[in-house]
Amino acid sequence: MSRFKLYTGIFVVLMALSTTQALVERTGLVDFDAPGTYWTAFGVILALSFVKATFVATYYMHLRWEPRSVTYLFLGGLFVALALTTAAAYSIL
Amino acid sequence: MSSVKRWFVTTNHKDIGILYTITALFFLVLGGVLAMLMRVQLWSPGAGVLSAGAYNQAVSAHGLLMVFWFISPFAFGFANYLVPLQIGADDLAFPRLNAMSYWAYLFSGLLFIASFFQGGTFDGGWTMYAPLNLPTYMPNIGGTTVVLALIMFIAAVTMGSVNFLTTMYRMRAEGLRMRDLPMFSMSILLTVWMMLFAFAALLAALMILAAEHLFGVTYFSAEGGTLLWTHLFWFFGHPEVYIVFFPALGIMAECFQTFTGQRIVGRKWFVLAMVLVALQSFVVWMHHMFLTGINLEIKTLFMVTTIGISLPFDLMVFSLIYTMIKGRIRFTTPFLFSLGALILFIIGGITGVFLGAVVLDYEFRGTYWVVAHFHYVMVGGATGLFAGVYYWFPKMTGRMYDETLGKLHFALYFVGFNLLYFPLFVAWETPRRVFDYAPGLTSWHQVASIGGFVLGASFLVMFYNLFKSMAVGEEVGDNPWEYSTTAEWAVSSPPPLENFPGKPSYASGELSFRDEPELTADGSGDGKPVVSVSPRSDGGVASGASETSSGPRSDGGSVRTEGATAGGGTGLVGGTGTATPAAAGTATTHGEERHADHASFWPFVVCFAGFLTFLGVSGIRSGGVYPGLTAVGAVLSAVGFVGFANESFYVPEPTVAEQWPFGGVENMKLGMWTFLASDVVLFGGFVGSYLFLRVANGWMHWHHAFIPEAHVTFPGLVNTYLLLASSFAVVLSLVAAHRNSSRGVVASLTVTWLLGVGFLINKGMEWQHLFHISTEAFPNGWAVGTNVASSTFYLTTGLHGAHVIVGLVMLLYMIPRAWRGAYLDDDSSLEYFGLYWHFVDIVWLFLFPLFYIL
Repeated sequence: MSRFKLYTGIFVVLMALSTTQALVERTGLVDFDAPGTYWTAFGVILALSFVKATFVATYYMHLRWEPRSVTYLFLGGLFVALALTTAAAYSIL
Repeated sequence: MSSVKRWFVTTNHKDIGILYTITALFFLVLGGVLAMLMRVQLWSPGAGVLSAGAYNQAVSAHGLLMVFWFISPFAFGFANYLVPLQIGADDLAFPRLNAMSYWAYLFSGLLFIASFFQGGTFDGGWTMYAPLNLPTYMPNIGGTTVVLALIMFIAAVTMGSVNFLTTMYRMRAEGLRMRDLPMFSMSILLTVWMMLFAFAALLAALMILAAEHLFGVTYFSAEGGTLLWTHLFWFFGHPEVYIVFFPALGIMAECFQTFTGQRIVGRKWFVLAMVLVALQSFVVWMHHMFLTGINLEIKTLFMVTTIGISLPFDLMVFSLIYTMIKGRIRFTTPFLFSLGALILFIIGGITGVFLGAVVLDYEFRGTYWVVAHFHYVMVGGATGLFAGVYYWFPKMTGRMYDETLGKLHFALYFVGFNLLYFPLFVAWETPRRVFDYAPGLTSWHQVASIGGFVLGASFLVMFYNLFKSMAVGEEVGDNPWEYSTTAEWAVSSPPPLENFPGKPSYASGELSFRDEPELTADGSGDGKPVVSVSPRSDGGVASGASETSSGPRSDGGSVRTEGATAGGGTGLVGGTGTATPAAAGTATTHGEERHADHASFWPFVVCFAGFLTFLGVSGIRSGGVYPGLTAVGAVLSAVGFVGFANESFYVPEPTVAEQWPFGGVENMKLGMWTFLASDVVLFGGFVGSYLFLRVANGWMHWHHAFIPEAHVTFPGLVNTYLLLASSFAVVLSLVAAHRNSSRGVVASLTVTWLLGVGFLINKGMEWQHLFHISTEAFPNGWAVGTNVASSTFYLTTGLHGAHVIVGLVMLLYMIPRAWRGAYLDDDSSLEYFGLYWHFVDIVWLFLFPLFYIL
């Protein structure tokens, strides 16, 4: 059952990436008094979240095997949320 | 079935359309009476018939009722009735969900009415600006009830949006391309897209506001909180203008085509302009915020986008005008209302450009200029909807309205409206939302008040006309309009339960009906056309003949009538009476014919239970009858949902249908994905609020000032592991189902359930710990209302936890079914549940770093 192996492999990757996120925190990179390292860690940790989310959506939610339009539907919602968040936050900078 | 009971159990789109229309008219009257009270008060400056508090309530309730409970639902009455007819579907994709959407709408409105009797209703204006919307300034239970009523209303809207999107993408008649949708259906398609995302943002804002009232979180009273409200509200509120106006625009386009006998000029560009406006509507919201502390760059940017959105509208306006020039106009009542709507919208649009310019907005903000402009746009939209009332009245009732009374209604309406609102442009220096104004403006306000009563009286004419005509109006055939072209006119008036005599198809370029039953055991649908009628797939050509015979109209004005009008105005759709009796909506399963279901009592029960629950929750902190109401509502909700889930309700999916771009994605799956797309925006609103408040309070300062030492990464990491493992368990259930292992499915789902429960226990332990920490900085623990960081943390992760709980309840329903062998033949339910569960998992993947690490 190839799907079983695939799902299992992805599960291992997801657990590993989550652990990595916590490890990044343990290394002291998330230092609220040192903006330079903080924002580096911020980028790395959030990028890992995006990678994990992509794996879950692509394989566990089967987007990989659906028409591309379904992905666009989901991305549409994400785009709307990001547009609101970034524009609102920018408006007070 | 008794005629009364029928209305409580119906799931048919036409019945629900009528219910929506009548209910919306009821709220029009209610909102209108409140408006009358305001105009009486404004007869002279200063105190009058209303107290200051009562005036505030009248203003707020009028605005909220008209915007939410009248205009959009009124349009959706038509949408429910007509979209399936126009696209060639038997019903909406999820009929019971449609009924639920209606009942949730009705009961949300009743909840609003109840708020008047709870010590006063919401009195902070229809924009509900913070901090006036907070319990400090609005201690009445009624204020909380209105917030909950709006939440219930949005539940109705979301159900409707998901249903319409699924229907329009998956159930169009053969040969009907998306680009060829009739104008009204096209406008509804774009409207529901906007609704799906815009209302989700408002839902986030309202859930946070409800939490302020019920749990004491502090978002909108925090640094940047008032600005946060305006961002969330207007991110919804500006698209809402187009959500309200687009259905009217669709009706106007239909009426212009029918009553000029001329296809909309530049139809393709008209549709493209609508698409552009729908997209742009989401990037103009900050023009409502020019007088707040947002930075100048972004004000300038939003001025550009706002002025820019008027351009596609210009194209639409000129297209409508040119359609009139090229066609031959028949001044029927629907046309008069359509033309009136166009004129009002032009005035509303031009005066809006003033407000879109930063400098002018500084002068006009908070004055009656805004009030006048806003009503020209919104009531301009409503005017288009009244065109729809007259246009489709013969279709819905089988009888014609009284044309003279219709024209009298229009005359009184149009004169009354302009008498009411045009003087307000002149008296623009009147301050908005207060009843005191400079005495020099009195005469303008008195003219306006007289206009208001003329406008109100015009509806008496309308109601009399409609009631009388329903009883004694002249009976019409399928189609009373000479040049109507859309498919609803090809069936009898009112249409039969199953809509069409056979399976509609546009494969030949014009509407025909196949006599083959829609669904056969092998899904084939190769029957030959048995009857051909004239409506074109794009609802565009005013001709009774086929495409090839319609020919160019180089004379710039005449219209083709051959073969269409000989029957005295019914030529276009003549011949349907000979069609084969309806066979749609049946399926042959194991040799037995199975009919589509059309009745369910559970949507009513669930929504009534929701009403009781929300009413109870509104005053739960003040004791009395409220906790009891909440408990009764909760129990009845549980009964309702179980009844709903256990009910056998068969809805055939069309096998011969246009499904681009979602071919191969069954209805239920597309519905689930559509719902999840709106849920992304809901969570986006919550996470965005957190990020915004954190930026407003200083990103690094936030951590130092508001977060206790005890708030560490580890519990979040454990929960991440638990959720990821549970997601893995769900996909294993699919693997087990493929292997035909019933035990495997049960085991996987049980493991998922246990991991989910473990997630909640871990979260509960963590929360208990944080609630009760006692440090120098937080001597009373880190509770929900301690500071803005604790509020955002508990509320956002709490919303996520609520999603987990919903998933666990679903599992409690699924596990026993799996035990009895379900899901082995058809694992789609497992997959749909998985979509939901994995989505909740994905949300956590972002909450974990944002709330625990960074």
